[in-house]
Amino acid sequence: MIAKSLLVLIAVLAADLATATTLKLATLAPEGTGWMRELRAAGETINQRTDGRVLIKFFPGGVMGNDVAVLRKITLGQLQGGAFSGSELSSVFPSAQVYSMPFLFESLDEVSYVRKQVDPLIREGLRQGGFVVVGMSGGGFAYLMSTRPIGTKNELRATKVWSMQNDRIAQLAFSNGGINPITLPLGDVYTSLQTGLLETVAITTSGAIAFQWHTKIKHVVDLPLSYVAGMLAIEQKAFDRIAAADQQVVRDAFESAFRNLDASGIADNDSARVVLEKQGIAFHQPDPDEVRYWRSIGDQTLKQMLADGSISAQIVAAIRKAQAEFRAGSANADAGLP
Amino acid sequence: MLRKAAVLAVVVAMSGCAAIANKAADRLSASLTAGVLDQDDPETVAAGLPAYLILLDGFIASGPDNADLLFTGARMYSAYASNFVLDGERRKRLADRGFDYARRAMCARDRRFCTAFDGGDFERFDALIAAQKDEARESLYTLATSWIGWVQADTGDWARIADLPRIGAVFARVVAVDPNYDRGNVQAYLGVLDCLRPESLGGHPQRGIEHLNAAFDFSQGRNLMPKTLLAEYCARLLFDAQLHDRVLGEVLATDPHAPGLTLANTIARQRARELLESGKDYF
Repeated sequence: MIAKSLLVLIAVLAADLATATTLKLATLAPEGTGWMRELRAAGETINQRTDGRVLIKFFPGGVMGNDVAVLRKITLGQLQGGAFSGSELSSVFPSAQVYSMPFLFESLDEVSYVRKQVDPLIREGLRQGGFVVVGMSGGGFAYLMSTRPIGTKNELRATKVWSMQNDRIAQLAFSNGGINPITLPLGDVYTSLQTGLLETVAITTSGAIAFQWHTKIKHVVDLPLSYVAGMLAIEQKAFDRIAAADQQVVRDAFESAFRNLDASGIADNDSARVVLEKQGIAFHQPDPDEVRYWRSIGDQTLKQMLADGSISAQIVAAIRKAQAEFRAGSANADAGLP
Repeated sequence: MLRKAAVLAVVVAMSGCAAIANKAADRLSASLTAGVLDQDDPETVAAGLPAYLILLDGFIASGPDNADLLFTGARMYSAYASNFVLDGERRKRLADRGFDYARRAMCARDRRFCTAFDGGDFERFDALIAAQKDEARESLYTLATSWIGWVQADTGDWARIADLPRIGAVFARVVAVDPNYDRGNVQAYLGVLDCLRPESLGGHPQRGIEHLNAAFDFSQGRNLMPKTLLAEYCARLLFDAQLHDRVLGEVLATDPHAPGLTLANTIARQRARELLESGKDYF
């Protein structure tokens, strides 16, 4: 009797193992970071709640290469997904990069309001491109930071400005602002700041500390340049191989992790800013003329991206509508109106 | 016995006999260090050390500006917090005290050095460290090891993470004076710092491996901690399962008993077993 039960149990276990799906996910985040802790906790939850039918295997620290390499490996079936910035997924759905348009937002509260309406549109665009987004979070605003004073456009133009390879938006915006950026991989930036090959970078406050660029930076323009959004995307075909109930478990676990990351991202950038100020880095408020100038550069860049079809007009319209609602709400609140 | 010693320390401290306390502390520190480092049962050290920490607190209370006492306190608190305390809040509290003692020791030794701790420009700090005399290497090393323990105790605190380059600068200064300082362990610290980030994010994992191998080689294969650290930080960062399992296998195949290294080696072997086990899921 016992032997028979054991045989049944073994058979059931074997059947479960045979149908287990492993999702291999790549990320640039190194082990030990808040990101990896959240992702691993979600992976563990998925493993437990699906009784091992869905296993999540992470490849942290960029061991699978950059975004281009990761997307290629997904196509080849070597990976099933990864954590990407919006810009990195622009080859799948161009408007995924819309939040990083320069000088698009005025505050994190505004971003939060807009994202409630626009995140679903980005998710839908990526779904049509063959990816299921199971979590989105904000990494905060990138700011212009420099080893030299960059309070005015002329001062900024006189510095050596970095742009990430393949970051078309940044290159277009800098070009519109009369700047000819130097494109380098992110891993070379610190050394380049040390040697003087680069003087100005755009990065979030927490990013500046994580990459140790804060040891070289002395000045920050206190004007949000662009919003950094991250998302976990899984190839639709791989996701479809999972039973519907287990898909929901995967979504729930990762969505919960990304909600935590969203909240901690804001706190991280706030704390990081205090640290930068304490370490002697000056945050300069640009004067109103400068702000107007840079916002006009942002508008010009957005129009160019719209004109050549790099950004969807429908999504930009949705952002503008949400911004108008938010700003009207803020104005009413300021005036004491309901 | 330990409780009696602690009570004695309190009595000595309260009596205000700082000179007696200092001599006793010197003797205690020397004997304790040897006794602890040659112990092959970490649990005994973990259970016994707190009494000595309290004893040291008493000595320090009686000689609050005594740099030697403060450095000893820094070493003991930082080592205890890093190696034996799992509870996050407790670990943070004890590592904070270790780093505080180290800072106070530096201030007691050199008032001008004091000001560089509290914020300010990195380049100014770097220049200050570069200007330190060669004889300061012991003080600098204790400062850096306590400092890194303070960072490790709360890696979610950006103020701590932001100090990593400063800690690296202090270790680099010690290496410039003596590449094999503390039986080469100074290179092990630099190795770990290099393996915190992948190359694509500005890290230097290959250089980290070289530092850790140098630390191991200097001990003629007796110091096992650099190997365990190499697996934990560098091999995992590079996602090199073969390297990970190979070096951990070497750690487990080596007798941990070596003068001055037995405790560290025993801890390194415990950690190696844990890493091999968790490596099955990681890779």
